[in-house]
Amino acid sequence: MAFVIVEPHAPLKTVSVGEGTSALRRAAARGRLGRVPAHLLLILLAVVSIYPVYWMFVTAFRPGDEALSTSPLPGPVTLDNFAYVWKTIPMGGMLLNTFGMASLLAVAQLLVAVLASYGFARWSFAGKKALYLLFVGSWLVPFQVTMIPNYLMVSQMGLLNTVAGVVLPQLCSAFAVMMLRQHLESFPRELMDAAQMDGRNAWQTLWQVVIPNLRPALAALAIMLFISAWNEYLWPTLIMQKSQDLVQVGVRAFLGAEGNNWGAVMAASAMACLPVFLIYVFLQRYVVDAFVRSGLK
Amino acid sequence: MLSRRKTLLGTLAALTALGISACGTGAGTGQNQAASLIPELGKDQKVEITFESYNLAQAGVWTDTIKGLIGDFETAHPNITVHAQAPQGGGAVGSNTVSSVQTQLLAGHAPDVSQLTFDSLDFAATQLGAQPISDLVGAKAVEDHLDGAHPFHPNAKHLGDWNGKTYGVPYVFSTPVLFYNASLLAKAGVTDPDLSTWDKVADVAKKVSAVTGKPALDLNCTSKGGSWCMQGIFKSNGAQVLSDDRKTIGFGSDAAVDTVSKLAALSKEGVLRNADINAQYEGVIKGDTAMVVTSSALQGMLMQASKKAGWQLKDAAMPGFAGKQAVPTNSGSALFILSSDPAKQRAAWEFIKWMTSDKAYTEISSKIGYLPLRTGLTEKGGSLYEWAQKNPLLAPNLAQLDRLQPWVSYPGNSYVQVDDILATAVENAVYYGKDPKQTMTDAAKRAQDLIH
Repeated sequence: MAFVIVEPHAPLKTVSVGEGTSALRRAAARGRLGRVPAHLLLILLAVVSIYPVYWMFVTAFRPGDEALSTSPLPGPVTLDNFAYVWKTIPMGGMLLNTFGMASLLAVAQLLVAVLASYGFARWSFAGKKALYLLFVGSWLVPFQVTMIPNYLMVSQMGLLNTVAGVVLPQLCSAFAVMMLRQHLESFPRELMDAAQMDGRNAWQTLWQVVIPNLRPALAALAIMLFISAWNEYLWPTLIMQKSQDLVQVGVRAFLGAEGNNWGAVMAASAMACLPVFLIYVFLQRYVVDAFVRSGLK
Repeated sequence: MLSRRKTLLGTLAALTALGISACGTGAGTGQNQAASLIPELGKDQKVEITFESYNLAQAGVWTDTIKGLIGDFETAHPNITVHAQAPQGGGAVGSNTVSSVQTQLLAGHAPDVSQLTFDSLDFAATQLGAQPISDLVGAKAVEDHLDGAHPFHPNAKHLGDWNGKTYGVPYVFSTPVLFYNASLLAKAGVTDPDLSTWDKVADVAKKVSAVTGKPALDLNCTSKGGSWCMQGIFKSNGAQVLSDDRKTIGFGSDAAVDTVSKLAALSKEGVLRNADINAQYEGVIKGDTAMVVTSSALQGMLMQASKKAGWQLKDAAMPGFAGKQAVPTNSGSALFILSSDPAKQRAAWEFIKWMTSDKAYTEISSKIGYLPLRTGLTEKGGSLYEWAQKNPLLAPNLAQLDRLQPWVSYPGNSYVQVDDILATAVENAVYYGKDPKQTMTDAAKRAQDLIH
C-alpha cells in the first residue's frame, strides 16, 4: 500500500475580475509552455517515423546514379526509376493482383470474424471459453511455425502459384475475431432481444440489427485487415513462385547478389505504398480509429 | 537482418532435412541409381521440366538473359518445355536456393534442374537427392561436354564433382578481386600501385587515408556473407577451413589464427573499414572507401558507377601474404539434376548442356558480366574476344583462375550454421577486438560438433 502526503490547500485569496482574467491567462500560458516539451517529443517522433518514407520518395525521384547520395533533397527530379520499374516488371498487373488479394483476404477475414464473434457473444455453450482461448492461442503461434504445414496443404490442394493459395490458409484472423468479440460483447442485449421479439431469427438479427450498428467498427477493422494483407511478403513469396503476381514480390526483383538497384527498389516501393497511402488520405478517420480500437496506436 | 534470415533458413534446413530423408529422396536414391544410362528422348516425346534459378529472382539483364536462353533452347528442342522459376521465399538472391528446393521436396515437386551454390555441394549430393549426372549420361558424355571447342578452365571443370562423380555442372561463378578508385589513389600520390600483398595494400590504404581521413579498404571476406573468399585468404596463408579427409574443422589452427590476427592488425591500424557486406558493396561508389576486395561479379555495377561519376575504376588480383602466393576461391553455382524420372533427366541434361554451352556463356558473360568458364571464348577467334578486349578489368580475374581452389562445402546438415560460426568469429576477431586465438579455437570446437 502506498501513502500519499497531501499538502493542505492554501487559504483562498479574494481577487478582482481583472486580476482573475490575467491569472487565467498566465495559467493558460504556463499550460501551453508546459506542453512544449511534449510537443517537441511528438514532432521528433513524427520526423523519425516519416523520414524513411520521405527518403524512399526522394531516392525514387533521383537519377539512378545518384541513388546513394546522402543529400536530403532530391536534386534533379526524374521519373526514370519509375519508368524503368514499369518497363521491367508488370507493375500495373501486380498492383491489381495485390489489390484483389488484399481485398479478398480482408473481406473473408471480416466475414469469418463477424460470424465467429457473433457466436461467441450471443450464445452460451459448453466449451465456449476453451474455444475462444483456442482462437486467441492461434494468434500467438508464430507464422514460421505454421508456414511449412500450410505450404504442404496448399501444395496438396494444387493451389501453388495461385492467389487462392495465398488467401486460403489466412481466411480466419484470430485478431479480427478477438476485436469484434469485444464490440459484440458490449452490444446492447436489449436490441437483440427486441429483434427476436419482432420475429427475427439469429441470422436476420445479425444482418439487420447488429451489422448496421457495427458499421464504423467493421470499416475500421476492414481497413486494418486490408493494410495487413497488402503488406504480406514472406508467405506470398513462398506460394507465388513461378510468377511475379504480387507487388511485394516484385519489389524484391531489384535486389541482387551483384548489387542492388536502390533507385528502382525505392520507386517500386513507392508505387506499392500508394494504394495504402490513398486509403489513409481518404479514410483517415477510420484508419486512426482502427488503430485506436486495436490498442496499437 | 541477414544473420537472422540465415538462422531462419538454417532452422528450416534442419527441420526439413528430416522430412526429406523420410520421403526417400536422400543419398541412397542418388547413389543407388542403376548404372545404366538414361535413354535418349524420342523425336516426338514431349517432356516438361522445371528450372529453378536465382538469376530469375533479379529483374533486368539477369532475368532477360536467362529467359532468352530458355526460349532459344525451346526453339532448338521443340519437344522439351522448360518452366522457369525463381527460388521461393524472401531471402537475398542466392541465399535461399537450397531451402527453396527442400520445401518443394517436402511437397513432392522439387524442380527438375536447380542452380545451387557450391557451398551446398556436399548437402546436395548426400541429402538433397541431386542425381549423379556422370552415372545418368556417362562420364564420357560429361567430359566431352566440358571440353568441346572451348573447354572449361581446368580449375573450374570439376567444381561440381563429389566422390568421383559429377553431381553439378559448374554454371556461373566469380572470384575475389580488388577493385579500386584509381582517381582517388592518384590524389593520394599513388599511381599504378603494386597491390599483390596485404602489406602493400595497407601502405597504399594509409596514403589514401591520410588524404581522406577515413579507412580506405573494404574486405567482403571478413564480413558475414563473405566466407567463400575468406576460405581463399586462409588458404593463402597455409590454413584450411576443413581437413582434406573432411573430418576436422581447420579454422582453429595456428595458421588460421595467424591469418585472422594479420587482418585484425589491418583493422586496428585503421586500414580496414568495419562495415556490413551491403555497405561494402556501395562503399567505393559513394566514396567512403577507395578499395574493396569483393566478388568479380560486381564489376558491371562498379563500372557503371565509375563511368557516371567520372572516376577511373581499376582492379587487381586478390592480394596474398608476403612471400606466399594468393589462393583465390570461387563463389557461384552449378546446375544439378533433381528429377528421378529418366525422361526428365534426359531433358534436364540437354538443358544443362545448352545453358553451359559456348553460346550460353557468350550471352551470360557479355550481358550479365559473369566470368566465362569456357575461358577459350575470350581468346582470339572466340566469341567473347572483343568483349574481353574492351574489358581490361577481366584480365586479373581470368589470370587468377590458374590458382583457383574450390569453395569448400562443409559436411552434414548444419553446413549453414558452420559457415555462420566462422563468419561471426572472424568478424569478432578482426573488427571487435576479440582475441583471435581464443575466438577461432572456440569457433572451431563448436563447428566440429556440428559436422559429426
